[in-house]
Amino acid sequence: MIPYLKMKEFGKPLKEAQIKRMQESVAQTNEIMKGIEAEDQRIRNFGVPADTIHKRGQQTVWERIEYLVDPGMFFPLHTIYDPDHEESGSTGVVDGIARISGKWCVLIGFNNKWIAGAWIAGQADNNLRVTDMAKILNLPLVWLVNCSGVKLPEQEKVYANRRGQGTCFFRHAELETLGVPVLAGIYGTNPAGGGYQGISPTILLAHKDCNIAVGGGGIVGGMSPKGFFDEEGAEQLIEATRHFKETPPGSVNIHYNETGFFRYVFEEENQVLDALKEYMEGMPAYNPKFFRLSEPAEPKYAPSEIGYIVPVNQKAGYDFDNVVARLVDNSEHLEFRPGYGPEVYTGLVMIDGFLMGIIGNRQGLIPNYPEYTNEYNAVGGKLYRQGLIKMNEFVTQCSRDRVPIIWFQDTSGIDVGDIAEKAELLGLGQSLIYSIEESNLPQMVVILRKGTAAAHYVMGGPQGNNTNAFSLGTPTTEIYVMHGETAAAASYSRRLVKEKDASKPLDPVLDKMNEMVQHYYDKSRPMYCAKAGLVDEIVHFEKLRDYMVAFANSVYQNPRSICPRHHMMLPRLIQSQVVTGLERPKKEG
Amino acid sequence: MEEVLAPMPGNILEVIVKVGDAVKEDDELVILEAMKMENPICSPVDGTVKEIKVKAKDVVEADQLLVVIE
Repeated sequence: MIPYLKMKEFGKPLKEAQIKRMQESVAQTNEIMKGIEAEDQRIRNFGVPADTIHKRGQQTVWERIEYLVDPGMFFPLHTIYDPDHEESGSTGVVDGIARISGKWCVLIGFNNKWIAGAWIAGQADNNLRVTDMAKILNLPLVWLVNCSGVKLPEQEKVYANRRGQGTCFFRHAELETLGVPVLAGIYGTNPAGGGYQGISPTILLAHKDCNIAVGGGGIVGGMSPKGFFDEEGAEQLIEATRHFKETPPGSVNIHYNETGFFRYVFEEENQVLDALKEYMEGMPAYNPKFFRLSEPAEPKYAPSEIGYIVPVNQKAGYDFDNVVARLVDNSEHLEFRPGYGPEVYTGLVMIDGFLMGIIGNRQGLIPNYPEYTNEYNAVGGKLYRQGLIKMNEFVTQCSRDRVPIIWFQDTSGIDVGDIAEKAELLGLGQSLIYSIEESNLPQMVVILRKGTAAAHYVMGGPQGNNTNAFSLGTPTTEIYVMHGETAAAASYSRRLVKEKDASKPLDPVLDKMNEMVQHYYDKSRPMYCAKAGLVDEIVHFEKLRDYMVAFANSVYQNPRSICPRHHMMLPRLIQSQVVTGLERPKKEG
Repeated sequence: MEEVLAPMPGNILEVIVKVGDAVKEDDELVILEAMKMENPICSPVDGTVKEIKVKAKDVVEADQLLVVIE
């Protein structure tokens, strides 16, 4: 294939001195990732041992996923997500972007090692994120259902609410009305909420021992007209439980032979997964060559080198273009308006042969800028008027050309003060939010280092519920409204003045300030960001490109709108910048 | 002869090179702390460090001479 766009090489090799200087930083990032991986492992080992699951003739959800997914094609999200501090330290589901039988999907399964895959605190939000992804990426949603219903002792954290556990079923219905199929492989006992997890998808593929039911035997047997339990009630309960243990409602006998809800029933666990693979083969998908503008190519520089570029030290600058060059095909790009808004990078790149827009913060000093003041100079990471206008323009043009966007944040916020207000930065930030929402483009964001203040929102942040498919963090991620020291100064500076004027000791106030700094630090680390869901996953630098490739393939699998490559304006706009000022070719003779 | 100047006022955090060092274009010479950030000041050319006009903890003004590359 002849590449449709002639792109320009960029990026530079690492220097010896740089490698040496960054050794400690790289060691720190590896340590941070070890902590994340250890937490992932702890969650996998929590609950019933895998051996016990095997003895029951079942597989764990991770084993099911491994069998189901094309080798190496599962990109996990929400691995350690635990927004409600559930005792397992998880949300009880395992999910991510996956490729099955060559087709991309959003995959989610219940962790059957923990209370038989019950609904637990935090899971509803996880499910919302997953259904959001399927909707934004227009990908099939594949469920591995194995859900014992609500964790009853904590039902108040799980069952009700506008965005509670039941919302998932409305989301399934919404996806179906949008033409997004929901496939389910069903295992184990699935009463009540589990029953709806089983019935709400589009295609139901059942294991022979599974059931789905409005309520389980326990619910029917547990009804007590007295309002309390006594010995007589207990005897009735024992009798009812024995009965329902023998004949659980909603077995395959009912829902295959009688209602026909189950499409197929399978003897073996893996046969259910084989059937899912077969259904996935038939999912609507363009051949990638329909949209590719060039052959897929690896970057000229290894993504694993990014650790030697992005320092853990949040105050240290680096060359962002060198990061992008390690993530995109052939380390080539077409930069949009390079001389304008120098604090921001905007450009077109190829990811696995697919056209993609990249936006990110540049770092370092920018003398003689911004143009609206001589009072101070600019520093990368902060946003100024031109950068905000440039991002608005770029997003709008990407929208016109239907080019998905990947954002990279390392931002300390938007310029502040009356000078900045006069330069309309507040309005331009919100304009960018408007541009993103209006674009209706699938987007992902990498919080490369700092995600701070409103800049975290306006630069493709996860708040864009209709466009942000998912957000990744890295070992250098740090997310907070402002730096802890800034927050402590803002909160306590007047108090310090008061104490000083009253000739009181400053130590108690200073202690509080330092406590606040520590609190901000603790609550902004990569581990915290992943646990709280401020990002959907922490990914080491060397894996970033894999997620970008998965994203690119996902968004181009079955897009809802198309711009023919020869109708695109953005590459032409970029090229016109290049030729501006050139003379017309002279006629010979 | 190439003179490397401070792009804006700040504090010298670290001088990375020493006189006589061979440097390449884009090699880091000095770390300048300005605008709460630690900013590497890089060599604009290949050459040898002829003079170093600052040391760690120095406060510098914009356009102050930092390093001379020959």
